[in-house]
Amino acid sequence: MSQLSVRHLLGIKELTIDDIELIFETASNFKEIINRPIKKVPSLRDITIANVFFESSTRTRLSFELAEKRLSADVINFSSSTSSVKKGETLLDTVNNILAMKVDMVVIRHSSPGAPHFLARHIKANIVNAGDGTHEHPTQALLDTFSMRLHFGSLKGLKVAIIGDIMHSRVAISNIFALQKLGAEVMVCGPNTLIPIHISELGVKVELEVRKALEWCDVANILRIQLERQQIKYFPSLREYALYYGVNKQLLDSIKKEILIMHPGPINRGVEISSDVADSDHSIILEQVENGVAIRMAVLYLLADSPLAN
Amino acid sequence: MRILIRDAEILDSTSKHHLKRKNILIENGVITFIGSRIPKADKVIKGKDLKASKGWFDMFAWFGDPGFEVKEDLESGTNAAAHGGFTGVALLPNTKPVIQTKNDISYLLSGNPGRITEVFAVASVTENNLGEDLTEMIDLHTAGAVAFSDGLKPIWLTDIMLRSLQYLKKFDGLLINKPEDLRLNMFGVMHEGKTSTGLGMKGMPRLAEEVMIARDLQLLAYTGGKIHLANISTPNALNMIRKARKNGLRVTCDVAAHQFVLDDTRLHDFDTHYKVNPPLREQADIQALIAGLKDGTIDAIVSSHQPQDEECKKLEFDYASFGMTGLQTVLPYMQGISGKIGWDTLIEKVTSNPRKILNLEDIPVQKGNKANITIFDPEDTWLFDEKTNMSKSGNSPLLGKELKGKVVAVFNNKKHLIIG
Repeated sequence: MSQLSVRHLLGIKELTIDDIELIFETASNFKEIINRPIKKVPSLRDITIANVFFESSTRTRLSFELAEKRLSADVINFSSSTSSVKKGETLLDTVNNILAMKVDMVVIRHSSPGAPHFLARHIKANIVNAGDGTHEHPTQALLDTFSMRLHFGSLKGLKVAIIGDIMHSRVAISNIFALQKLGAEVMVCGPNTLIPIHISELGVKVELEVRKALEWCDVANILRIQLERQQIKYFPSLREYALYYGVNKQLLDSIKKEILIMHPGPINRGVEISSDVADSDHSIILEQVENGVAIRMAVLYLLADSPLAN
Repeated sequence: MRILIRDAEILDSTSKHHLKRKNILIENGVITFIGSRIPKADKVIKGKDLKASKGWFDMFAWFGDPGFEVKEDLESGTNAAAHGGFTGVALLPNTKPVIQTKNDISYLLSGNPGRITEVFAVASVTENNLGEDLTEMIDLHTAGAVAFSDGLKPIWLTDIMLRSLQYLKKFDGLLINKPEDLRLNMFGVMHEGKTSTGLGMKGMPRLAEEVMIARDLQLLAYTGGKIHLANISTPNALNMIRKARKNGLRVTCDVAAHQFVLDDTRLHDFDTHYKVNPPLREQADIQALIAGLKDGTIDAIVSSHQPQDEECKKLEFDYASFGMTGLQTVLPYMQGISGKIGWDTLIEKVTSNPRKILNLEDIPVQKGNKANITIFDPEDTWLFDEKTNMSKSGNSPLLGKELKGKVVAVFNNKKHLIIG
């Protein structure tokens, strides 16, 4: 198999295990390439990619842009603060205007769940979901599981705890889907008000005590408190959150096993994770960032090869 | 003009011909013959499995007239209603201006003499549907309002609900409330459950509906009077209503037709056509609703017709408006559950029951009576597309599909519509 089963990367849910394996395999090759002195390959020459970001982003946008440039694609960037969206233009009109300039692929980030699916239904271009509201963030989950795989060899039976604001996290949902497809066990942990009440129906364990979650897991994926996505108050204060849900060195040291620490960034140091944990040997936070470029190169490369692009 | 309906099963428990196959002759808007012989006629309506009932009545529909005529006006709305089998439709007051003066009511009703589908007015309980100050309900009642409601909005403030119920007792007026705790549903776009969790969408829990029903029933027990709970969707809601009735409370309820067939998994690819309020729930809810139809807890089936123009639906899911059109698809949805519930029971929920709830004349299918009749064929199919859709809006997930269950003709007001 050398082609994905999908024309768009809308979410992990739509991917088969074979798709994920193919992305990993391709990402491994690209990871090797980007560590060479000459990092650029001509794979996407003459392909134009629009990065359309309707929500602020630093690392994901840079990571995509870098991946695109390493593949020799032509890149245009667009963010909503400078767009006509604020003048009342619809998403569809905005993107169609961009496509009229002959764009082949659209990488979209949007605050509304399903916005990439909506675009995929209405426009002719490959769509890559770079995060849709509180729904999915597939490239993040791919790079997370890819990073775990590099560490553990296989994810079968691996115990992964996702700790933090589960309700407002697209990383959590995409990770749950990806981890389950790859055979890992998943637990979510956080204040009960930030855990969707039906999450266990997705086949994950729920734990309200961080210590217990850490004692259970091999990997702790610590999520950022999404203050900007909380429309209602879900917990009393960051102080109390840091005290009772924050992961710090003292807590980790008191647990008699080694845990791999991950974080999708950006980090709120001193809130969900302390600096001494984020910067410790157990943390692979920066490795995740490096792998992100390789994963995104793989995704773009494989989608460009899908039937629609031809 | 003499129109003969050949070999139709009559579904009307108030008629002596109930459940019998007969020929029915209608002359100048009056039923002049029901029997086995075949009288001469100018026009004959035939079919494979024709059924005849009283004209259907929808007690929960929204047209945008006045104010949002681009979505639906009185003409297009009543035309859609007639094509859906309805000879009467009660319209919600969420217009602009809101239906809250006798002028507003006469604007709606004045066209009735020329209409095959007559319009009835549900007037607003509170000024401008804001939920704060009561409207002049006695005057509105005198002007012809059949019930009082804030329509698509729940009556949110507890004391306002209390006073409305108390005030309406003078003329035993009916209060209709669509129960929804707005705070518990805040930012919600679909049913809260496994599907919404996987889709990362804010959920609308069953609880939001049930909390308000519990409140309303407590208030009703305190004030007396009567209340109709609109667009119910959860098993627990039905249980509370059952119990309240047992305790002697005068409470009735309806369910939107699509709610018996569609569940929340339809939202898997973010199709905004399925964005409705109350939200599509789960299979277990559907089964409970069907049981509620069977045991009589659910009095009426309604269209919950909420036309929306493309600008309100062709959007990201969060930004799209709630609602789907419903008037022309009530029959196909009922067809979907007719294997579990007999047609005679289903038809009562769109004929006698809503009329009884609204205290309206209910004319049996009987010789000598005015013809207010709907003829349909549950087995026949038709294509619901741009051509056959009579609404100004196309926000139905069924649009473009071949549907089973066809309205063949409607008679009312000395008029008739025969659908080809």
